[in-house]
Amino acid sequence: MAGLFERIVNLDRRWIFLIVLLSVATPIVIPIGLPVTTTGPTRAAFEFIEALHEGDVVLISFDYGPSSAPENDPMAEAVMRQCALKKLRFIVCALYPLGGLGLANNVVAKITGELPNLRDGVDYVNLGYKDGPAAVMRRMGDDIAGAFPTDVHGKPISEIPLMKGVHDLRQVKLVFTAATSLIGEWWITQVHPQVGIPVIIGPTAVSAPKYYAYLNSGQLVGMVGGMKGAAEYESLLRARYPQLATFYTTTRAFTATKGMDGQTVLHTVILLLLVLGNVAYLRQRRASAKARA
Amino acid sequence: MNLEFGRVTLVILFAIVPIVGFFLGLRAPALRSRIPIFVGVFAGLIPILSMYVPRKFIAGPTGMSPRLDQWLIILAGFALLLGIANVLQNNTRKISRREKGWPFSVVLLIGLFVTGGFGIYGGISGQGIGIAADGTPTPFQYVTNWFFQPLQSTIFSLLAFFMASAAFRAFRARNTEATILLVAAVLIMMGRVPLLELLAVPIPSLQPAAAFASQGLGKLTEWIMQTPNGAAQAGIIIGAALGAASMALRVILGIERGYLGLGKGD
Repeated sequence: MAGLFERIVNLDRRWIFLIVLLSVATPIVIPIGLPVTTTGPTRAAFEFIEALHEGDVVLISFDYGPSSAPENDPMAEAVMRQCALKKLRFIVCALYPLGGLGLANNVVAKITGELPNLRDGVDYVNLGYKDGPAAVMRRMGDDIAGAFPTDVHGKPISEIPLMKGVHDLRQVKLVFTAATSLIGEWWITQVHPQVGIPVIIGPTAVSAPKYYAYLNSGQLVGMVGGMKGAAEYESLLRARYPQLATFYTTTRAFTATKGMDGQTVLHTVILLLLVLGNVAYLRQRRASAKARA
Repeated sequence: MNLEFGRVTLVILFAIVPIVGFFLGLRAPALRSRIPIFVGVFAGLIPILSMYVPRKFIAGPTGMSPRLDQWLIILAGFALLLGIANVLQNNTRKISRREKGWPFSVVLLIGLFVTGGFGIYGGISGQGIGIAADGTPTPFQYVTNWFFQPLQSTIFSLLAFFMASAAFRAFRARNTEATILLVAAVLIMMGRVPLLELLAVPIPSLQPAAAFASQGLGKLTEWIMQTPNGAAQAGIIIGAALGAASMALRVILGIERGYLGLGKGD
């Protein structure tokens, strides 16, 4: 028995890598369809957008890169789908330098492909990328055209119908930032206090704990934390919009709900490894204490 | 010409003074560090003052502070150019000296020129750098979709393997603090996913009990995140903000000069 625990403690890490690979890949190939329970911050985010009125303007900021796209893409897509179905107009921008614009372009193309009635410049506008996020946000607080003189296709802001009557962030009802870095936090610390605009953040799971402080203080109206948050959002959308219930059950594309199967299996495997490792460690410690005595 | 007070002051502070200072600095080395400090002091003071002085010349839509933000956006673009120049300089040197790993520098420079070239081409041709009107990706977007994104995702996904391995090897209940951390981590990991439902998949009769227990675990997880974690995070954020404010004050007052990159004797 002691030999077995010693072997566990000294297990070649390549075995662990193989277990991790199998536990993530298998549920993607063979989905389990585990249930998703919703949490308060996600429900608050969802209900806040639900309470907006037709024609209201929402800003969706892509503040993440490809490294966290599997977590952030589904939440950005879910919020965009909700805005489109609620007939809210949305402005898209990207402030993350390492690929934020490419992801924004892809998500916009995906959603407009799903909902061909959306009209560029009328129902939505993609402003593209601008460097210097903190300064860009502050500038948008005073004058959006000052930060983004044209949209991503080079069309002047003044010629875009959606932007008529939207001079600065004070005319925007909400900022949703899908974020992987400090940029998301700047929307809360730089823009919210100065402009008063409500902010919802969609951070990666690893950075979500930080934002509970902002939720508690009321500086955030909601949070869609990591893949779990995105899966919760998809579940709320499925419950509210029948057309999305069909979409999310039939789509072959990656969704957070599908990703949660893999994450659940991986969490289970890591927990088992943790328990095994600790049991083996405690037994070894007891054995060496006995030997010393 | 619009000669507003704010605009003229900005031009004097951030254009005329640095240019004059540059030329004076050629003859008087002591001025080389003073002019950047002078610029830094005002660049730091103006946005702060705009919060407390609600006057048009400083805080209005075309006042000094918003205009400074506009300049910062332009400066950030130039900073990118500076970064590219730095990458070129370092990697061409590495290649010419055949330093260790020089072939990687060749790959990096090819990536830089190809991606940058497609971006510039998209800008000049009017095609843009996103999705073309017919729904096909432009060359820049193609590189983004099929090279950049998979590469970045691959590097980041390696974390899952190393984290699992590290958790197994290093996450041990060695003492009381480590045990508390371990228990909290286990609870959060269990509560964030439908783990109990997964374990009950082979026994359908256990599903309702698993769902009930999972809900309770979820509530406990939320409480841990909201209350002890939220309180600790607030403390950390306030501490970091105070640190940042004191550092900003040091820069504004010219005490902290590390950002100038001056050597000894400068």
